[in-house]
Amino acid sequence: MARFKKKRVGISLDMTPLVDVAFLLLTFFMLTTKFKPVEEAQIVLPESHAKYKIPESDVMTITFSPDGKLYLGLDSQQLRAQLFGDQNKLKPAIPISMEELVPLAQQARSANPKLRTVIRGDKDSMYGPAEDVMNALQKANIARFELVTEMDRKD
Amino acid sequence: MGAVDIGGGRQHGKKGKHKKMRRIGVRLDMTPLVDVAFLLLTFFMLTTTFSLPQVMDITLPPSETKSEVTESSLMLLRLMENGTIYWNMGTESPRALEPNTLRAFLKERINTNPNMITLVKVDRKSKYSNMVKIIDELHLANITRYSLAPLLDPDKKIVEDAAGKS
Repeated sequence: MARFKKKRVGISLDMTPLVDVAFLLLTFFMLTTKFKPVEEAQIVLPESHAKYKIPESDVMTITFSPDGKLYLGLDSQQLRAQLFGDQNKLKPAIPISMEELVPLAQQARSANPKLRTVIRGDKDSMYGPAEDVMNALQKANIARFELVTEMDRKD
Repeated sequence: MGAVDIGGGRQHGKKGKHKKMRRIGVRLDMTPLVDVAFLLLTFFMLTTTFSLPQVMDITLPPSETKSEVTESSLMLLRLMENGTIYWNMGTESPRALEPNTLRAFLKERINTNPNMITLVKVDRKSKYSNMVKIIDELHLANITRYSLAPLLDPDKKIVEDAAGKS
């Protein structure tokens, strides 16, 4: 019972359309990609059913990490240079103390009245720092702010 | 690998100067190109962040303004350190609330009294996510008139007394 050896058939696939599509997607992703900003602290966001997306510009971010540190982030480089000095303008967020928050928030608001305040807190951190931040914001006459959350997909 | 093979191997002798050059079929091995393209493609696809986080809008009444509230339409929610929620209307004594019935409870409350004002008192030592959850449930129940307040020692005592009684 001799098995017949199959003759190998040389397949030549035209890969041009595949390459076209690949490069199209590649350019799309390269142009649309926006790298995640370097996180100053590892934050696990709490979950909520909020419908609104975080605004893309004119944002002032107040981050408090579970170990009690506080960071102030601004999305505009000019404003960062104005508030924290030229040497800090490339950093997305600057560690600050709770006492500095009120004057800094007021300065930022007067420099850019359209600025919106968002608070990023870790879900496992205590409520204490959040309360202090909110009190500071009230002192700075910012009654409206937003809490950054993750989409809640459970219910 | 990566070889450029010139198809055919046809001979094109010089027979006349004005004769058209025969086209030579060039076959490029595009495999490495495709490899690299797909590698980059996967890289960019995986690193792209399409989903922006959500934000929850909170508007607190300014600290200077004092608003008069009738006691009967004031609901107090107290979030304790261990995550339990106590609620009471006006001057009633606080009662514990099951966390998973919170949504239905709030809906029922706001339906019975649409003018209800909610005051959420949160313990400094309770978890931030619990507070976010309460605010989220308030939003889901369309309760827009609420404020946040610190949970002070007298509050803790009231709750302890009420918990001891029941």
